[in-house]
Amino acid sequence: MDGFTISVLSNIALFSFLAISAWVLLIAGEISFGQQAYFALGAYGAGIATAVWQWPFALGVAFGIGLGALVGGLVAWPAVRLSGLHYAIATLAFAELVRATLNVFTYRRDVGGVATGPDGANGFRDIRWVYEAGLPPGAYLLVIAGCLAGVIGLVALLTRGRFMARLRIVGEDPILAAMMGLPVARTRIAAAALAGGIAALGGALYAHLATYVEPAQFSVMTGVHALAYGLIGGLGTVFGPILGVLIDIGLLESLRIFAGYRMVVFGGLVAVVLILRPRGVLDERMMHRVAAWLRR
Amino acid sequence: MIDLVQNMLDGLAIGSAYGLLALGFTLIFGVMRRLNMAFGSSILVGIFAGAWLHGQWAAGMIPIFAATVAGAVVASAYVERMSFAWIRGDAALASMASSFAIWMQLEELVARAFPQRSYAFPTFEALPMLELGPFFLRPEHAAMFLTAAVLVAALHWLLTRTLFGLRVRTLSDSRDAARVSGVDVGRVAVLTFGLAAAIGGVAGFLIAATDGQISTKLGMWATMKGLIAMVIGGLGSLRGALVGGLVLGVVEAQAQWYLGASGREICTFALLFAALILLPQGLVGRKDTLARAEAVRRI
Repeated sequence: MDGFTISVLSNIALFSFLAISAWVLLIAGEISFGQQAYFALGAYGAGIATAVWQWPFALGVAFGIGLGALVGGLVAWPAVRLSGLHYAIATLAFAELVRATLNVFTYRRDVGGVATGPDGANGFRDIRWVYEAGLPPGAYLLVIAGCLAGVIGLVALLTRGRFMARLRIVGEDPILAAMMGLPVARTRIAAAALAGGIAALGGALYAHLATYVEPAQFSVMTGVHALAYGLIGGLGTVFGPILGVLIDIGLLESLRIFAGYRMVVFGGLVAVVLILRPRGVLDERMMHRVAAWLRR
Repeated sequence: MIDLVQNMLDGLAIGSAYGLLALGFTLIFGVMRRLNMAFGSSILVGIFAGAWLHGQWAAGMIPIFAATVAGAVVASAYVERMSFAWIRGDAALASMASSFAIWMQLEELVARAFPQRSYAFPTFEALPMLELGPFFLRPEHAAMFLTAAVLVAALHWLLTRTLFGLRVRTLSDSRDAARVSGVDVGRVAVLTFGLAAAIGGVAGFLIAATDGQISTKLGMWATMKGLIAMVIGGLGSLRGALVGGLVLGVVEAQAQWYLGASGREICTFALLFAALILLPQGLVGRKDTLARAEAVRRI
């Protein structure tokens, strides 16, 4: 594989984490404009752990995931009783708060004679663990793909273990769910923590690939894209958001056939898809049909 | 103390423009029960139509104003068809995602047609600075105040004193009830959408004429400010939209003065988050009717 293919595939995989994270919340009946905040927390958390504190890579990534999941749960705890639109704006406000805070957040320590760490709006340079370990881009792509497979496996496991079914009931009709004795608020908080962890994992991997992150990268635009991927690809399975990412980044950006008019084409395409299939390409009905066909 | 009051004045002026943006959002949300993410980008199209007229023929303020409003209305009509009229009735999420896609589309089209980083927009240079004792009021700011006041009064009259207004209110209370009582739901929705776009166009014109230069970032900016002001004030309330806009404007102006740009951002969003948690019904929001609560939950 040449460098371009590797970088496109890495981008697709990294955006998939963000898209899956927004999708988990959509399943729980919550719209989040703010998953980029957990992506940022993962990136900064893991970056600080490996670059400043000199932790090993796996531990650093785990720290990032933990940070994302913890903050995701903590934010959801008061926000969970808000209705749809209010929740959406609350997530937006929180994400912008995180971005604005990172803009002034400076934490620089002397590492081997070089001041390392986040430097406010100037960003966070030298997250070089992967580079120093001598890992070629192809091998790192395998790491990213492995983590993505892990997330997909986790969602599959949760689907078997009824958590996803519970989440869907809570998302579709919280009142019915409460009458059935499901802990609605707790389920939603758990979903938000899960989504935060997934996004943070993506962010941690991204920071180590790019070696440089800055607050401006985690703008609302990123979050709204992540949300749109799930809605286009379909809410039926975890492959929906990944399909959305594939359509946008894989097809349109990489082929470069629509040079410059990518968003015009993508926007029109999405609008038409949503007119024809309001719950995305791979919606629940489609997945049932596929499942029935597989069983035959 | 003088600073405090001066900031308050500036904040109220820019806040009245925010209020107009929020009014547009509220009108659309009222009749559609859906979020129009492309609202800001429709305004963007209008503003650039005005800037084009300015650059091409050095037109006067009135034709530029007309072009801005017309551009916003035309772009909004496109959004209404693609993201609302043609999307199935029970798919509120699809409308939101679709309007986001159209936002991207409109923004890219504008960016393609106007590739420079920023463009000039005519300002009210001829008007003098107003002095009120120790305080100053920029003429653009005075125009913002006045326009917002006039528009809100006109809108209030339209909604409470005319048959069209009654239909809009019926529709926003309950779509089914409106249909049963013989209201042409589709037509009223389209007209309200157009009205909201026109109000947005006016707000966009005032903001652009105050700044004197415009960039493609204005679309997202307008969407965010309008959305935030609407939610602060209370969903579905016109008064709330205006109050939300004014509060947002004042808070931003004060925080900018005392804490600087990054302090303003942190302060604004922390306040917004806290306001949502503590006061989800908004500053002047009332208890929602069941239908409205259902729609808000469902969006």
